[in-house]
Amino acid sequence: MDDIFSTAAPAERDDLQPGAEQKREKQPFMTPVRKRKTVGWLTGFLFALPVILGILIFTYYPAIQALISSMKNNDEFAWFYNYETMFVYDLDTWQVLGNTLLYAVVSVPFGLVVGYFLALAANFKIKGISLYRVLFYLPVVIPGVASGLLFCHMMAALDSNGVFNIILNALGLGELSFFEEASTSMVSLIFMGVWSAGGSMIIWLSAFKNIPSTLYEAAKLDGANAWDCLIHITIPMSTPLIFYNLVTGVIGALQCTTPMVVVGSRFGVNGGGAGNSIYFVAVKILNEFNLTFYNYASAIAFILFAIVGVFTLILFKTSKWVFYGEEK
Amino acid sequence: MDATNPALISSNDRNRSARRQLIAVRIAQYTVLTVLALIFVFPFLLMVAQSFMTQEQYVQGALFPTKFTLFGYQTLFTGDENYLSYFGNTMIIVAFNVIAMPLASSFCAYSFARLRWKGQEIVFACVLSTLMIPGVVTQIPLFLMFSSWGWTNTPLPLTIPTLFGGGAVNIFLFRQFMRGIPIELDEAAKIDGANVFRRWFSITLPLCLPILLFVAVGAFGSSWGDYFQPLFYYTDPTKYTLAVAVYKVVVLDGVKENSIAMAAGVFMSILPALIFFFLQRRLIDGIMVGAVKG
Repeated sequence: MDDIFSTAAPAERDDLQPGAEQKREKQPFMTPVRKRKTVGWLTGFLFALPVILGILIFTYYPAIQALISSMKNNDEFAWFYNYETMFVYDLDTWQVLGNTLLYAVVSVPFGLVVGYFLALAANFKIKGISLYRVLFYLPVVIPGVASGLLFCHMMAALDSNGVFNIILNALGLGELSFFEEASTSMVSLIFMGVWSAGGSMIIWLSAFKNIPSTLYEAAKLDGANAWDCLIHITIPMSTPLIFYNLVTGVIGALQCTTPMVVVGSRFGVNGGGAGNSIYFVAVKILNEFNLTFYNYASAIAFILFAIVGVFTLILFKTSKWVFYGEEK
Repeated sequence: MDATNPALISSNDRNRSARRQLIAVRIAQYTVLTVLALIFVFPFLLMVAQSFMTQEQYVQGALFPTKFTLFGYQTLFTGDENYLSYFGNTMIIVAFNVIAMPLASSFCAYSFARLRWKGQEIVFACVLSTLMIPGVVTQIPLFLMFSSWGWTNTPLPLTIPTLFGGGAVNIFLFRQFMRGIPIELDEAAKIDGANVFRRWFSITLPLCLPILLFVAVGAFGSSWGDYFQPLFYYTDPTKYTLAVAVYKVVVLDGVKENSIAMAAGVFMSILPALIFFFLQRRLIDGIMVGAVKG
């Protein structure tokens, strides 16, 4: 055995086939190391095969189809005709892109911050806290379209008995236009995000739970106050989670549709809200699709893809602040 | 606590003042929690209240139904295309995905976390890259593909793709988690003669319980709430899933009776709320694991 191993030593790898050991002894005249390597490679490859097939059939193939379709005009190949139309002739494009970017850039960090403060409260060590957590989380389980409808109603004008305006009026703060005017629509939409903070509350809670309490005890001995603990312990130790949620959150927000379709369709044409102030890329694509402009819809979808790609790249390139603990 | 000087106060007094302070803190904490709970629960309560209101009351902007009506719920649960059959349609998809998604993604993740083979880094990068491709990009070609296979109006487009990897994010989470499990366990099992399937299923999988549960709940959430994909694939109203039915009531029909939409919303919220209630502690445990080890 030693002879075989000594010649094969540089190529030694983790053996993956349990039967390989016996086979090797029976067939010393073959090249057992190569055989074992092949079996090992095959095992690894076969375990990954479902996902390889999956991304080829259900992601890459359709994506290429969409790319080809985006370069067509009425079944004829037209290169960048649709892209030219988008940026030169379509008046919606820049507004739609601007709205989407603004929403993604503001709403995701905003949600994390609100979720943080909610989690601070949900982390009190007192009786009944799990019930409170459920109450905080309840708005998240309301189906998107139903919650869009609810918030439309709550944010309606005073004449239409909008609850928020009734409260504001009772407090002597006047009346807000919310979704009725273009200038306040985006702010209102982001403000709606407060009620979905339950999702990021969970993330923060798990972050809190995973920070060793010894860190806080040591900091307290050194005379640190709550603010110091937040800045120097909680946030740095939570950066992997914050990063993960920034990435997935921004990717999600860039493709967001649900409440906007409802809110938008009530206060404007196209599902874009008052003055197209909350008209988003994904909604625009749906509209073009419904008008059977498939090729044009695909072209817009690819611009959305490019934006998502750029954002992901920026987030990863600037991820030096993420602290993964000491490498062991 | 810092203000009290232990040397000057007897232990009895100190206990008493500490207890008093504790009670004050408790009261403050409950006050904060209750105020927050009222704010957060308000939309949900309003939804429940509106589901019992007549259209007239809703338009007047009432907060509580003074005249109870069950019209919304009656409309939902009577007739051929009622919400119980939508619930059944949805549950077929949900049950399949809740089981298949953790299994499929842990299977593929095992390849990336535990097995070594040439090219695995490139393949893994390709898998992760699919995260960046927005769903709307692939939706139209996928729709054409599935309809050419005769899969429209069946649960197949919403279930079968799950078998192929169970989602890039889930593979990523499983891979991260598996890397944290001591590899010695795997090696010991290998020496004992366990083949690679057994090492995945009987050794690694049981140790992945927190992330397994997290992925399963995620699978539930995405199948339960997704209206976008089923909207493409279902043209036959009897085959609708709950989310499509609610979407149709709210967006396409334009809500003639608000109580129907709200009753549908209440019905759809019950199961996720229960799941969160019972699993919250385990979910909180499950989230961190993916992100801790980079």
